[in-house]
Amino acid sequence: MEKRTNSPYPAVDRVVMALIGVVLVIGTGLFVWADREHDWRYYQFEFRRQVAEKFGADKAVILPHGVQQIWVADLGRADRCITCHQATSYPGFENAEQPWRTHPVEPLKTHPLEDYGCTSCHGGQGWAIDTAAAHGEVAHWEEPLLSRSLGEAYTLAGDKNALLQMNCNACHRYDRETKGAGAINLAKQMVNEKGCRACHVINGFGGTIGPDLTEVGEKPPEQYDFSRLSGQRTTFAWHVAHLKDPRALTEGTVMPNFNFSTEQAQSLAMLMLSWRRYDLPSRYVAGAPRTDPRSAEELAAEAAMKTGPGGWFVQTGCFVCHSVAALGVKSPAQIGPDLSTAVEDVQSRFGMTLDTFLANPTGTMSVVLSRQIILTPEQKQTAIQKLREAFAEHQRQRGAAATPAGSH
Amino acid sequence: MAMRLPSFSRTKPEAPGVHVDRLWSFRPQSDREAGDAIVSNFLLHWFPAKISKASMAWSYSFWLGTISAALFFLLILSGLPLLFLYVPSVERAYQSVKDIEFVVTFGSWIRAVHRIGAHLMVIAVVLHLVRVFLTGAYKNGVGRGQHREQNWVIGVVMLLTTLFLSFTGYLLPWDQLAFWAVTVGTNIASSIPGVGPQVRELLIGGRTIEQATLIRFYVLHIVVLPLLLGVLFAYHMWRVRKDGGLARSDREGLLAQPRVTEVVATKTYTLLGVARGAAPTVTARTLEAADTTVNAVPDLVRRAAIAILGTIALVSIMSVFIASPLEEPANALITPNPAKAPWYFLWLQEIVTDTTFTVGSVTVNGAFVGGVLLPGFLLTVLTLWPWLDRSAAAVTGLWLPRERRTQNLVFFLLILAVLGLTFIGMVLRGPYWNIYWPWEAWSDIPTRI
Repeated sequence: MEKRTNSPYPAVDRVVMALIGVVLVIGTGLFVWADREHDWRYYQFEFRRQVAEKFGADKAVILPHGVQQIWVADLGRADRCITCHQATSYPGFENAEQPWRTHPVEPLKTHPLEDYGCTSCHGGQGWAIDTAAAHGEVAHWEEPLLSRSLGEAYTLAGDKNALLQMNCNACHRYDRETKGAGAINLAKQMVNEKGCRACHVINGFGGTIGPDLTEVGEKPPEQYDFSRLSGQRTTFAWHVAHLKDPRALTEGTVMPNFNFSTEQAQSLAMLMLSWRRYDLPSRYVAGAPRTDPRSAEELAAEAAMKTGPGGWFVQTGCFVCHSVAALGVKSPAQIGPDLSTAVEDVQSRFGMTLDTFLANPTGTMSVVLSRQIILTPEQKQTAIQKLREAFAEHQRQRGAAATPAGSH
Repeated sequence: MAMRLPSFSRTKPEAPGVHVDRLWSFRPQSDREAGDAIVSNFLLHWFPAKISKASMAWSYSFWLGTISAALFFLLILSGLPLLFLYVPSVERAYQSVKDIEFVVTFGSWIRAVHRIGAHLMVIAVVLHLVRVFLTGAYKNGVGRGQHREQNWVIGVVMLLTTLFLSFTGYLLPWDQLAFWAVTVGTNIASSIPGVGPQVRELLIGGRTIEQATLIRFYVLHIVVLPLLLGVLFAYHMWRVRKDGGLARSDREGLLAQPRVTEVVATKTYTLLGVARGAAPTVTARTLEAADTTVNAVPDLVRRAAIAILGTIALVSIMSVFIASPLEEPANALITPNPAKAPWYFLWLQEIVTDTTFTVGSVTVNGAFVGGVLLPGFLLTVLTLWPWLDRSAAAVTGLWLPRERRTQNLVFFLLILAVLGLTFIGMVLRGPYWNIYWPWEAWSDIPTRI
């Protein structure tokens, strides 16, 4: 066979090629290993062991495996906390160590996991599945887990868990008092007692001597002057120090020193940091009105109709379409004819008596009385009686109007 | 490979030009099939049959062009899965990148391969250009019919395309790093006199960096620019072949007395199926000489495989250990301090800083000098250099020849200056664009809670 080459290369190149092959295999092994290596595998294994020990192996085998998440579409949150915190809604581990502890039941009754997820209350990075990243203890994540240990790091004077309440106030901002949010409630009380609004606009009203505080929680840390603050360089620490002694941090400020206690200053700092520009679906905002607003006159008129002589027509729902002018009932829609003259009117329109009509209605009323306002025979009798009374009243009023004013 | 795919029975001779199998033949059944297999084999035509040993040497080209191409290939490959995962909308882009990082199987590795590959590609392409300049490889050595200067221009355009590809990809994660790097980059563009603001508006599809910018950069990044680079790459390679291979191989042709070697009796073209049994004999001359050349298959192929697979192995392993950054979500109201352009534009940002100064009441606009005038001038000279370089053809494909000493020195100093400025911008610039030495800590960046 032809000598194909006089190349001096193959001897070395073949070895290099083989080495690269080995490196490629090692590289593949490395990234497969790096992808599989996660602490949650251990936490799930351990939780399964604990469940098996406490409730039996059959309960353990049905526990979910792999990455778990609560997807709250309305809030755009995918909280994967339950990948490690598998006991969150699994009763029986109330006193276990984290991450295997059952969540207290009470707050979840009003804040179901599937509607709120975890991070909307607790903070942290729900997307992540490794402890440090998930608890937000990494660079470039500004919502750390509002944990007891963080509270301890700040040596909170009151409840060490209180930092969490900042997130309560995202939705409960306009509450006067929120159950379970003691620090925030204390701060709100301070705002009113000390008259913060004398100088500051809060929620749209207040003085203009100091800065508007409505969205002060959005102010980025870069915009604070930390040069006179010792200790933790965080916005929260700045506010606490500033509330306790404004002049120490801001030279020449006119803000008075209110001699706040540490607990008061910390609570107020939490409240201020909770004043942010949240983009919440309206159903999450506590206290937001759920109906169309009505004027005082409209409300008074409706109350008068309900208690007046025509109250029965209002309560039964007839007034949605029909006025009963003789009894002072005015329909907002006035789709149907006035019922004051129904006794006469039914005869002329349908060629039957009121009793027959109500027993066997035709047209629109047959639909209404079969689907929307369903009356028992007794109620129909009441209706006939009420309509007769209305007609009598109508005739009385007409008679009174026809009589000349000066005749009696 | 003894695999034989099912084929129709060959009772009738097939018509000329008809390939009766429904798939490829791995073992030719006729002379025609054998010939077709060779004629239509792309790889056999990409490479010459023989290649000079000198142009294959690691120490001549460092194989930087091949490495750049390998990285481009790797970027396409790693970009494909990302296409399925990334959502180009300002509401969801950041979240989709978080998902790629945290929960997609191999997601963070794929993203790291894509990111590290992109950074390495910028480096490899620049080094390739530096090598071509320092060896005078844009010159026509043999002369007749060569157009290496055109391929140099194509190469410069490919460098710019690579930079723009990287820059458009920079925005996609929609985090603070992306947003502000693109803000700085496009603000430099707006200092072009007269049309600057319009250029910026065209680039970002409006006056603020928003959804219009994201979709614009996205489409450029995934369709337009890769396609452009692919076409330019094909043409670039084709021209390399048509110009007689690497400039280094011209050295062989330029030898004063081409050595005529003995007739190679076994040199036949029987595979083509056109001259079986009547092999034409060929007198090999210089370029084909047995002592200066080797067969492309397997020597060149093996070396190309080493360069390509080696690049892939390097990127793969780096991607396991180097995490890709993802900062806070993009926020137009909060400027990070310092805000930096992508690293390969930092030398320009540095020049912009250094050329902005006020004398009396006159302020010199650094963005124009540093962002437009200087790079524009450098780019023009760089592009036209093959026509400005008057050195003899004899020094084509030689590292640092005496005759080109001055231009190589100036070029080298310019490269050093760019590297120096990039280093200052990357490493030394800290908050408020102040100089911080590497051993000096930046002032602590405060956080919320």
